[in-house]
Amino acid sequence: MSLARPARCLFCSLSRTATPGTRVPRRQFHPTPAPLTNRKPKFPNVKSPENSTRSALKADDFKSYTEEEKAHLAKEYSAAQMEAIKAGEASIDPKDLSEQSIRRTDPYRFKYLDDFSVIEPGIDRNVRAPESNSDYNFKLKSEDQFIEDFGRFFAESNEDIKPADFVRFAESLRLTEGKEENELNPHSALVPDLFGPGQTIDEPRVEERKSAAEKGEKERSLEAEELTDALKSLLLATGYTERQVRELRTKTLVSHSVVNQTRLGKVRRAYRLSVAGNGNGLLGIGEACPRYENRTIFGDVTGKVGAVELQLMHRPPGFGLRTQHLIYEMCRAAGIHDLAARVNRSRNKMNTVKAAYEALMSQRDPEEVARARGKKIVDVRKVYYAGKV
Amino acid sequence: MSLVNLAHVCSHLNNATKARLSLTSIPNSNLHLKLCNALQNSGYISSVVRGGPTPPPAHPILGYPAANDEVEGIEPVTLDNVASRRLWLGLKYWRNESVLGKVRMVSKPTRRVTIDVEGLRRVVRGEDSGYVGGLRSPGESLFLSTDRGILEARECVEKKLGGLVLCRVL
Repeated sequence: MSLARPARCLFCSLSRTATPGTRVPRRQFHPTPAPLTNRKPKFPNVKSPENSTRSALKADDFKSYTEEEKAHLAKEYSAAQMEAIKAGEASIDPKDLSEQSIRRTDPYRFKYLDDFSVIEPGIDRNVRAPESNSDYNFKLKSEDQFIEDFGRFFAESNEDIKPADFVRFAESLRLTEGKEENELNPHSALVPDLFGPGQTIDEPRVEERKSAAEKGEKERSLEAEELTDALKSLLLATGYTERQVRELRTKTLVSHSVVNQTRLGKVRRAYRLSVAGNGNGLLGIGEACPRYENRTIFGDVTGKVGAVELQLMHRPPGFGLRTQHLIYEMCRAAGIHDLAARVNRSRNKMNTVKAAYEALMSQRDPEEVARARGKKIVDVRKVYYAGKV
Repeated sequence: MSLVNLAHVCSHLNNATKARLSLTSIPNSNLHLKLCNALQNSGYISSVVRGGPTPPPAHPILGYPAANDEVEGIEPVTLDNVASRRLWLGLKYWRNESVLGKVRMVSKPTRRVTIDVEGLRRVVRGEDSGYVGGLRSPGESLFLSTDRGILEARECVEKKLGGLVLCRVL
């Protein structure tokens, strides 16, 4: 409180001041200081009219070509192109141009050019499916209601009823009360089929497969003569046919050069760690990898090689392979489609592959568990829900 | 209810299965006996017999000590011998692997973990619930101490019981 304040100020405060905002705040007894009214904001405000997306251009600014300009253009363009230009001119309204063909300059503009009128799968968010047709209060019609329906049919139809009329009536006869869509197009908990019958994600389409088969036959007849020694020994060792070997999906996961230091000097060699699999439960040559429902693994498993510790976790159908690239390639080769993995501690490539292999092979078969414990174990998903959960 | 002793039992069972023992013994207590009975009901161990410091004689046909052995009989527990009693467990192996995989405590002596039916339902379905991870592998089970004895998690869900989570067996 300022007692030193001159008395005239008290009278001044009653009269109107020349400036609307006083520098000295009036609430002097208040414990917290009031903000100064004429204080400048830290950051300049962005005012909307300055930033409006509306362009200064008007519809009148877009004028069609004059005869003179057209004559100039005709020198450059052919007659067909001129026609196209004319059609384009006619099809676009200058009003639309003034409203839509503007570059935004506001801070929230997009930093790229794109056509936002189109929904691109994979980039844009999915368009939601319409709400279901389900009607939870539907009831089966009683006998009396059916009799009523029949009565109405006979009453409304002409005297000579043809068999076709009966068929039409039977087809259009509804069996339930409630929403019509509920009966005609009921909700299904089943995941809609992505592929046609006999078609999988790995296999090429039927036409492609046919052409590939034709191509393959030609190649095979050529290659039949040139069986390499390595291939021959592999066929002998594994007992596979040549075709089975050729269908193996292989991928080199780790490759680097290694050096052996001898008294003769450094002997360089290449190290390769590759994975092979037929994409259908075979990981490595002759090693069957257990799979649950031919898509994921039995339970969560862990593997440890060196300092690499990893966990592989089973996942529901359609989850995909959300793993790092090495484990992804191994799962592709083995034909596992739904899996999550976590690699802890070290992430050495070679040891990661080995640990993942160890983990995949350490799966416990529920049948074996059941026999070991002398208990009955039932796959609830398969037995009770027919794979629908 | 000493969880310290229970933790010792769990690690002892792990060590015994790794050493491929067919018969092992643990200190006698009511908690241990109930847990071992639950393990036996779930098929993880073959037999539970309360005996003295030396292993009880094997059943003539089964080959391991059995609690219902009529020939040998079981020495009754008296005030004199109760301190020397131990629980003798027959361990099981199948296809060169022990049936009792790894036994791990969930509650610790310093942190007791309880769970209700709702949480247990999630756990049995394979989801995590609080401090208790889901049962996500085939043949994995969780043992709880409830007011109707020591039960497996799925039994608890069936009977709508919650309780103290003791240990997890894989």
